[in-house]
Amino acid sequence: MTSLSCPFCGVRELAEFAFHKTLPNAGDDPLSAVYLRINQVDDSHEYWQHVRGCRAWLKARRNPSTGEVLEMNLLGAVTS
Amino acid sequence: MKAAIKRVGTRLSDKTLRFIFDGREYEAQVGDTAASVLMAHGIFALGRSVKYRRLRGLLAVGPEEPNALLTVGVTPMVIPNVSAPQLQLREGLVLKSQNRWPSLRFDVASLLQLGSGFFGAGFYYKTFMWPSWRTYESLIRRLAGLGEAPGASDLPVAAVEYLSCDVLVAGAGAAGLSAALVAAHTGARVVLVEREPVLGGELEFESALVDGQPATSWVTATEQMLQTLGVRILTDTTLVGGTGGVHIAHHEPGGLAGHNKVFHIRSRVLVIAMGAIERPIALINNDLPGVMLLGAAERLSRRYGALTGRRAVIFANHQRAYAAAARLVKAGVSVRAVIDTRSAAVLEQDAVTARHCASLQVAGVLCLSESAVVSAKGWRTVTGVDIQHLRSGKAKRIACDLLLTSGGWSPAMHAGLQGGGTTRYAADKATFTVTDQPIGRVTVGASSGHFELAAVLSEAASVTARVMSELGLVSDGAGIPMGLGDPAPRLAPYWRAPCTPSQEKRQFIDFQNDVTVADLRASLAEGFRDIEHVKRYATLGIGTEQGRTSTVLGAAILAELKGESIESVGLSRPRPPYHPMTMRAMAGLRVGSALRVAKRTPLHDWHVSHGGVLDPMGLWMRPRFYRSNGADAAIAAVTEARRVRTTGGIVDGSTLGKIEVVGADVAAFLDSMYLTKASTIKIGRSKYMVNLREDGMVLDDGIVLRLAADRFIATTSSGHAEHMLSHFEHYREVDWPGRAVTLTDITDAWSVIAVAGPRSRAAIQHVLGSEWQSRIETLTHMDFAQGHYAGVALTVLRASFSGELAYELHVGPAAAVALWEALVTSGLEPYGIDALDILRVEKGYLVSSELNGQTTPGDLNMDSLVRLGNPCVGRALLDRPAFHEPTRGRLVGVRAVDGCSGFLAGAQLTTLSSTQPLGYITSSVFSPTLNEWIGLALLARAQAIEGATLIARDPLRGQETPVRVTSTVHVDPTGERIKS
Repeated sequence: MTSLSCPFCGVRELAEFAFHKTLPNAGDDPLSAVYLRINQVDDSHEYWQHVRGCRAWLKARRNPSTGEVLEMNLLGAVTS
Repeated sequence: MKAAIKRVGTRLSDKTLRFIFDGREYEAQVGDTAASVLMAHGIFALGRSVKYRRLRGLLAVGPEEPNALLTVGVTPMVIPNVSAPQLQLREGLVLKSQNRWPSLRFDVASLLQLGSGFFGAGFYYKTFMWPSWRTYESLIRRLAGLGEAPGASDLPVAAVEYLSCDVLVAGAGAAGLSAALVAAHTGARVVLVEREPVLGGELEFESALVDGQPATSWVTATEQMLQTLGVRILTDTTLVGGTGGVHIAHHEPGGLAGHNKVFHIRSRVLVIAMGAIERPIALINNDLPGVMLLGAAERLSRRYGALTGRRAVIFANHQRAYAAAARLVKAGVSVRAVIDTRSAAVLEQDAVTARHCASLQVAGVLCLSESAVVSAKGWRTVTGVDIQHLRSGKAKRIACDLLLTSGGWSPAMHAGLQGGGTTRYAADKATFTVTDQPIGRVTVGASSGHFELAAVLSEAASVTARVMSELGLVSDGAGIPMGLGDPAPRLAPYWRAPCTPSQEKRQFIDFQNDVTVADLRASLAEGFRDIEHVKRYATLGIGTEQGRTSTVLGAAILAELKGESIESVGLSRPRPPYHPMTMRAMAGLRVGSALRVAKRTPLHDWHVSHGGVLDPMGLWMRPRFYRSNGADAAIAAVTEARRVRTTGGIVDGSTLGKIEVVGADVAAFLDSMYLTKASTIKIGRSKYMVNLREDGMVLDDGIVLRLAADRFIATTSSGHAEHMLSHFEHYREVDWPGRAVTLTDITDAWSVIAVAGPRSRAAIQHVLGSEWQSRIETLTHMDFAQGHYAGVALTVLRASFSGELAYELHVGPAAAVALWEALVTSGLEPYGIDALDILRVEKGYLVSSELNGQTTPGDLNMDSLVRLGNPCVGRALLDRPAFHEPTRGRLVGVRAVDGCSGFLAGAQLTTLSSTQPLGYITSSVFSPTLNEWIGLALLARAQAIEGATLIARDPLRGQETPVRVTSTVHVDPTGERIKS
């Protein structure tokens, strides 16, 4: 099983995490934000949650064509 | 029972056991495989091919065997497609041959091939077209497929073990052992997996020396050394695939599911040393029982003392065939001839071959150069071969009962290619090897095209050392073994013997899928020219064998037919699993209750012991009804619902989701989470509220209680609590980062007993005692009060699921049973979820049939709430024009026009004159209060007019009921009861 790195908990099994959705990147109006995605093959910004762990919401940057996780950051805490 | 002559082999013991094959009992020696013992009993035909139903014998010994697949066990507990040469026999095992009816010797479907000639690729889809494919499908499907699927689901659960190491070595032949030694000497954590029950791989067949000792002694010494160094050695274990840095190895002792185990191995380095697979040469009738790979005959002879024939002809394109011939002669096989495709000139320069030829000729073996076996003769087994000189065309026939072919070796590349590598073709060895593998993954030994022992040992060690140092795992290169073994095979590529175009349909490439040269030609003619298209059109290299013997041969012959080079044709990309695994093994422990836990409320045992019929609802087990109210679910539910409206009843609502929301910013936070404002709720009051998804659809509904200025409890529907918690947490992070909002799932901390009915107030006043008397008296609809019951915290909320005067008692689980029993003693009887459903449809309350993720607040008649204009999540998208079109559904009530006919949820609503659906019924119940069927429906806004008459059409259940559109509130539309 693939592993992901949680900023709090370190490297954990994929099964602990839940994918939520791909972040909007195709426009700022509400309709685009909900429905439109550019779906770039090698660069995807996504929401994940460490739902079977610390429950932190995470923002991931991933390369879907290779499965490589480029970044995994906390969603909220940065701006606090 | 058939006894056999005692045999001697490296894998055999003297002890015997018995097993059953196709209804007959046979004797085997402990250590025998199904293939070896059946061969010893003179049974050469072990199965029929999947398409043409041709009798097939053994081609190979190993997982590459395409045809000798057996079904193990007795219906329905069967395991199909077990490879006979890998199946280690155990006492009493019951085996069956496959793809035959009624018997292996006589198969009705095999007559098809006599009638119509051979079906080429795509035959079925092209032929059975009139009137449609579906007319024939079920008949054809019965003939198709590999083996019988198990009918029982209770195969033993496969254990799962998680391992973590620095270096994973797959394969424990010369290369794998060398790699593992180098890695282990550095102190790295090493795991070594080997498919066979013993280590050593091909070393058992070579008269080789390693580090000055015989190869087999070196294997034993190395195994001890590796164990001393702490290497985890897993035999009977195949690397089948992997993803994301974790490799999956399947441990299947005896080649049989049932005792298997799945290893998930996380490793920084993967060394692939899985050897190479001998491949056949295509010739006419090369699928006859008695035609097998040279290496297979050697394995059967050495390991199991099983002679596969008395008079053998060997057909090969390399030097190794001669040494093998000499060993077979020694084992007692009469080798009639060695047919070599290489030219006399090449052979003359090959001193080893010349020496072998000389001694073989002395033993009476005919050695022919520049010749090929063009055809195998015989009906059920081989009786002879036709040989042709490749230059002069001179023909010759030799009688024999065994034809052993060897066209070279194909490195095992699956593991490398699954990891994303590409292939490179080496013409001098006729091998594809893997290049450009990701960091940390290397292929060594025969898997990388090395066939000479000294080179294999040193390459494996140095490549492993290099990849380890690249990843910072220091390797000093110590412990590299020195080997001296058979020289390189000096192979000349040769793929198929000459034949006429009409004979190409008898030149088999892929035995498991009956793919012939003619099929590849047909594929090209149809325009499927790319190797990936050919694979799928001609079914080349699919199935349990995964193209081990056929992929490279197929690519080479395709290249010939296309007039291209082999490297430009390339190989199709293999996908995991490399070796068949049962779905059960893949699921591992994630089955049954381990996959899906059953949650029980604190009142669970009470329900069970009082006749509650439990049903899963999400993860929860909830009582549908109680048997004391009627044996039949429908009668019991109606009885229970009627009782609630006339006197009262209690229902276990503990499954209700509860999320505590605390903090200075919570009121504003909840305002953004719900369609209506939470900030206007007064302390001690509650409110029914709905959440929207960001696309505007209703997500969930529930009652929100305000405990203090900064403290709320949000209830959710049963089974939604976990999702709603995530939902809230998400928006807290997105919209309110760093603000004071704490979210806690308190679902399991509170049991809920809902008390409903005219007598509910009196009953709880009686049960809760004097301290609650006046507080309950003063509670108005949606008020709540907090206190204690029997020393345990209690919240009494006046709210209703049923439209009756009702209270929810939220009590700590410790007192749940006592409170429930006290209420029962006071005269309130329990009711189940089915009765609750009836009560809520009578009142037009919503459940998942209406909150199905496709309904907006407008659809559910909540326009007035939307108009309040609270800017919540999902609000922005509610103004989309499509949500307000006259064809969009809106919730209405329906009742039968005649007041007695029934209708069910799912029925489509149409006008009297048309069958065009205008909406559908979402919920339907028989109402004991109104004594007729009532329902809720989503009906096009234009038609959603009270009093309109429509037809509820339910063709699946043969019902057509005229219905009248009504208000959604069927019972007590003015709400007198709820406020009483």
